[in-house]
Amino acid sequence: MNHLKPLVGLPLVLVAILTFFSVMTSHFATAGNINAMLHAMAPLVIMSCGMALVVFSGKLDISIGSIAFLSATLAVLLINDHAVPPILAFLASLVAGIVLGALNGFIVVVLGVNALIATLGTMIALRGIALSLTGAVLIPLPTQVARLGNLTIGPLFADIVVLVLVVIAAHIVHRHTVFGRRLNAIGNGEDAARRIGLPVDRTVFASFVLSGFLAALGGIVALLQVGAISAYLGRGMEFTAVAVVVVGGISLFGGRGAILPGILLGAFIFEAIANGLNQMSANPYAYQLITGLIIFLAMYVDAMQHRRKAAVRTRR
Amino acid sequence: MNSAKLVMRSISKRFGGIAALEQAGLEVRAGEAHALMGANGAGKSTMMNVLGGVVRPDHGQILIDGEVVSFASPTQAKQKGVSFVHQELNMLPSMTVAENVMIDAMPTRGGLVDRKAMRLRTAELLRRLDCTFSPDTLVETLSMGDRQMVEVARALVTDPGIVIFDEPTSSLSEREKRRLFDVVLGLKRDGVAVIYITHFLEEIFEVCDRVTVMRNGTTIETRDMHAITAGEVVTAMLGSVEAEERVRPAFISIEPPLLAASCLSRDGAIADVGFEVRPGEVVGLWGLLGSGRTEILRAIVGLDPLDAGELRWRSGDTLDIIRPDKLHRKVGFVTEDRRGEGLLLPLSVAKNISFGNLDKVKGAFGMIDAAKEKTFASGFVERLRIKLSSLSQPVRTLSGGNQQKVVFARWLGTRPKLFMLDEPTRGLDVSAKTEILRLTAELATEGAGVIFVSSELEEMMRVCDRYLVVHRGRIVANLYGDATKDDLMHAVSDGRVAA
Repeated sequence: MNHLKPLVGLPLVLVAILTFFSVMTSHFATAGNINAMLHAMAPLVIMSCGMALVVFSGKLDISIGSIAFLSATLAVLLINDHAVPPILAFLASLVAGIVLGALNGFIVVVLGVNALIATLGTMIALRGIALSLTGAVLIPLPTQVARLGNLTIGPLFADIVVLVLVVIAAHIVHRHTVFGRRLNAIGNGEDAARRIGLPVDRTVFASFVLSGFLAALGGIVALLQVGAISAYLGRGMEFTAVAVVVVGGISLFGGRGAILPGILLGAFIFEAIANGLNQMSANPYAYQLITGLIIFLAMYVDAMQHRRKAAVRTRR
Repeated sequence: MNSAKLVMRSISKRFGGIAALEQAGLEVRAGEAHALMGANGAGKSTMMNVLGGVVRPDHGQILIDGEVVSFASPTQAKQKGVSFVHQELNMLPSMTVAENVMIDAMPTRGGLVDRKAMRLRTAELLRRLDCTFSPDTLVETLSMGDRQMVEVARALVTDPGIVIFDEPTSSLSEREKRRLFDVVLGLKRDGVAVIYITHFLEEIFEVCDRVTVMRNGTTIETRDMHAITAGEVVTAMLGSVEAEERVRPAFISIEPPLLAASCLSRDGAIADVGFEVRPGEVVGLWGLLGSGRTEILRAIVGLDPLDAGELRWRSGDTLDIIRPDKLHRKVGFVTEDRRGEGLLLPLSVAKNISFGNLDKVKGAFGMIDAAKEKTFASGFVERLRIKLSSLSQPVRTLSGGNQQKVVFARWLGTRPKLFMLDEPTRGLDVSAKTEILRLTAELATEGAGVIFVSSELEEMMRVCDRYLVVHRGRIVANLYGDATKDDLMHAVSDGRVAA
């Protein structure tokens, strides 16, 4: 299993973290808490899958937090102000995600703008649009809709099921479809992929569309969990998603890593730290410091591996 | 054997106002390897890009198996059985061999990639190429030669009737080259029409049946390989005979050494290397690819660490020990990699030349004085006969030879006493090569010591005053400028026996 190589240290880190919190707190290692953690990380995991697909091609989409926010806002406004049935409103929200993803794809592929800059632009602009639509205030969902957020299927929260389905689907798309191979090929070298004759533009465009779609889906899940749209929905999520992707062993240089189990482990590490520290009643800012350190370490490992491979490549 | 697989007839193509191809024609038979030769800019690439569907010709006709075809895209060309093995390897290092080979023709089942079919097909192609590595190997773990085979395998996926090899051996070792030749022979046996482009004359005599020579955008002549000599090919390429004469008579320097290296060793790369370089002489490091000649240069200037040995550098009357990284700052280093040398392609010629010499173009308040910069640069442009339309022309728009001269110009500004030239003429056309060699001799005549490395013996023999023969990381012989080609070849083979 070659694609697992970058992950060598990750399960160890996770085990260490889990052991630490299990020893330090009484409630951490219970089924209920694990269920709660999976529930809490659902939006992040779903959005990270979209981010990962873009990252495989060596690009970034940092607008996903704003896409989540804007498309969730759209759903709330449709339900509250226009009495649209919730199902239709959520469908509209997913379509919005697709359209916004296509907008990113258009800017990157057709206008030829660097992906980071393009999505930085849409990240700021889309959040601005959503804020002006909501007036930056908290807008609650009708209670019967908000109740969906606590829906359970058997012992599991419904959004955990969504999480699992999305992760499996994204993994299959990446590992088992021609589209996924092309993403990897582009991440290995866009020029080489072009010279081979692969449809680079179409493939990159599609990855942004998928990322937009998953961002909207993540936004809906987050919205239902909170039961209201707030000005904070999805904010900073894009960077946490980048962190999850990198910690999960997916190279930001493109073409390396896998969604399963990378994304799940990566997201679980962050969630476990947040949850564990919370239960230890630690200083809330400690979470940010530790998260920062972990991101730094993951990036450093990625850069080291990339440099070593580059060195091997140039030696004759 | 005599049926014409491919006929290209009176192909013309203009880019802007400039004719890239003018009434060029080519005929290739099934089962033959056909060499396409020509100096840089002769139109070989345009001709092949027309055949590969990358460029649409303004005029002309292409027939495959007697049927007129026209390609709007490389994909269409591929469908008609034309495959390209590019000079640059288009590898996807983090992916498997099978994925690399099949990437643009992945078999699917039910919308998902059919891995089994992909591996089977790849394994079949690898067998055809006599490759022993598995389809599941990651490409980043393969050697250059194996990667080249992956590139060839990719070209064969569609079972093409015509395969174009564009400079396939430029990064291969001797053994890997043999393997590639075997592949070409195998393709010939299978009835494939092979078009073979290379800079290396001797290769075409080994694998090709016929040669078509191009010059100035048109095809000059097509001949059977056994009815033509290397000299005749070169003559056809250049239009007039350019005798491979020395650019300056061999010279023996009697001055005290400028640089003395002794017992330099680096594990696995070089062993016990010792030599001297005197002012005014051009010392050639002569060895086959992979012999360690580049490694010696790298070690001297600290790009690779040394395990043992010392370097001494002349200061006044004595030779003082010097650290490799310190030496690096004293030598002018020119390699085939012009961009890597720090040539800033988007910037002007003047800026590029003045970069190493900013002190000399400073004006008031330490700001760059544009007028001084131009005067400074124009001196070198004249001296090196750099062909340009203006000093503010971006370096990117110059030809390879003139770009290389800009690199020299920058070094001349700092007047180093020692130059290290590693394949300085790689990728240049014949006349640009000669100019660079003349410049090299000129540097020596002015008193600089020069260490010169090239893979082309003929080229070394035009400029070197002394040869250090390198084999397996050791210096196995020291020959003077009057050494003949046989002497030098012999020295290299002696090294083989000794090692």
